[in-house]
Amino acid sequence: MMSEPKRLHPVAAVANFFQSLKELLLPVFVLIIFGGEGGFFQFITSGIVILLLLLSGIITWLRFTYRIEEGELRIESGVFVRKKRYIPFERIQSLDTSEGILQRPFNLVKMKVETAGSSGKGDAEAVLTAINKQEASLIQQALLHSKSQASDADDDRDLSAEPKEDIVYKISPGELLLLSSTSGGAGVVISAVVAFILQLDEVLPYERIFAQFEHFIKNGILFISIVIFIIFFIAWLIALIGSLFKYADFTVKKVDNDLIITRGLLEKRQFTIPFNRIQAVKITENLLRQPFGFASVYVESAGGSLQNASSSSVLLLPITKKSRIADILKPYLTDYAFEPILTPAPRRSCVRYLFRGFLTSILPMVLPLLFFRPWGYFALLLLPFSLFLSYLKYKDAGWGIDGQQLTLRYRGLLKNTVFMKKNRIQKLSMEQSYFQERADLATADAAVMSGFGGSGGTVADLEKRDVQQVYEWYSYTEKAEDRL
Amino acid sequence: MITKPQKRISKRGLKVWRIAGAIHSILAFLAAGGAIALTIIFDWPFWIIGAALIFFAAYAYVFIMLIPSLRWKRWRYEVRENEIEIQHGVFVIKSTLIPMIRVQHVDTQQGPILRKYRLATVAISTAATVHEIPALDVDEAEQLRFFISNLARVAADDV
Repeated sequence: MMSEPKRLHPVAAVANFFQSLKELLLPVFVLIIFGGEGGFFQFITSGIVILLLLLSGIITWLRFTYRIEEGELRIESGVFVRKKRYIPFERIQSLDTSEGILQRPFNLVKMKVETAGSSGKGDAEAVLTAINKQEASLIQQALLHSKSQASDADDDRDLSAEPKEDIVYKISPGELLLLSSTSGGAGVVISAVVAFILQLDEVLPYERIFAQFEHFIKNGILFISIVIFIIFFIAWLIALIGSLFKYADFTVKKVDNDLIITRGLLEKRQFTIPFNRIQAVKITENLLRQPFGFASVYVESAGGSLQNASSSSVLLLPITKKSRIADILKPYLTDYAFEPILTPAPRRSCVRYLFRGFLTSILPMVLPLLFFRPWGYFALLLLPFSLFLSYLKYKDAGWGIDGQQLTLRYRGLLKNTVFMKKNRIQKLSMEQSYFQERADLATADAAVMSGFGGSGGTVADLEKRDVQQVYEWYSYTEKAEDRL
Repeated sequence: MITKPQKRISKRGLKVWRIAGAIHSILAFLAAGGAIALTIIFDWPFWIIGAALIFFAAYAYVFIMLIPSLRWKRWRYEVRENEIEIQHGVFVIKSTLIPMIRVQHVDTQQGPILRKYRLATVAISTAATVHEIPALDVDEAEQLRFFISNLARVAADDV
């Protein structure tokens, strides 16, 4: 079936073009900021570059063909260097489809083909940038078909039956609003806006505008604070709308042995996480949501279909009452205990936490205090904040062992609770500095696999014998008979 | 209580660390020399020369004598049937357990100085982390590499 080579939909050419344009964005930015006045020459160069990109986008599209042959997905591509990539269906971990703004009007999807090794460099094994939906389902069927043939050998399951679908979680409008309004995106927007305004400087007659306001500004701090407030408010609004679009329709489904996450309004995205690739589960609470008892849940996954490589944390539940997490996830992640009893850090480590907070806040405080005298005093506000945060860090430190599960709770800025299974932990360390040794304290550090790198948890200043207990729990040496 | 790891790394490793320390003490030497030269040329206060000399001496002492010997003294490792245990650190002592079934592959590597002293570094990779045992005797490193990769092959588990 479908063995003649096929091209992608022409929209792929446009997508290629935008892709390479996006990659050029940073150099272009640098050029604009540091480039000075090039004027005409710059204009011509950028025109030529854009033309070339467009051309290469089209040629790339022309040269890209795919076909299904002998149980393999065969892709041939490349302009100067011809590449042939044959992916056997048995090796394919997941086929993920997403619909971007480009694909939507033409009723197309972008399909990512993921294999076990492909999460490495942030690239999927193969990406079919734009194919129509029938085509996509054809490939999916071919994959299912070949997988069923492979498993036919050992069991005669009825594979024509629809895969069982089970909705794990669907975001409610209230939750979506809450999620968006408390997301940390505002900071990003503010810095982007500031960078943009600084650039506009050459275009807009700021001085003239400001001259009119000058007497106003002289009158005081009130005006400036109002302006700052408005800027923050707008940034917050933009972030809110952005995240509304991003997380709208957030749905988690269980289909066979996979968790499938879909989200997005303008751009629909879909992620697939096979259950047996889940390495750890993490509950995260940020400072804004914690007081209201809301938390987010992430899963660490080894490979699968994820877009960034450094960490494959996948948002599983964007926002939900902390008390409901166990109810929602327990039926699906059966071997995890979500409400284990945790042992906190001992009282005497509180001083150490506070002292560390004090040390880290000193440097950023001293410079403004010395050099920007009247305003620099505001830096003093950092100290109580930092001490408060350190106190929270102390309060949140904790550990627990529950059968084969290790739970570590710690706070950076966010409060994290990581649930790890013994057979998923890649290494466990116990650290002791000279001062910790004197206080009979130690730090526990566990790592799990996450995408291509690692993730995990570190809890500082726990009771030394507690850490020792964790260490021995993890050791395979003494109780080799009951391992796994 | 698990017994603490017993094996030490090669005594020649200590020598290599001292040499490495000496090499980057050259930087401190250049900085101190520069400061002294500038002091003489521009007639800066005399104490700068003293400070530069003390700085250089302290730097050289710390990086050639103190840290390598502390580091060597603290370095322990042990390869057991089911796991590898490593203990190291100068100011912060870190003990790490790596179960055999988590080991993905083992590498040995050698720089020019290590080669001269017939030493090698063994790097043990898990799916999430890389752990190095530095400055082992070449034969021992080779043996260890074979040993670990044989043991690691026995138990394959899903990651």
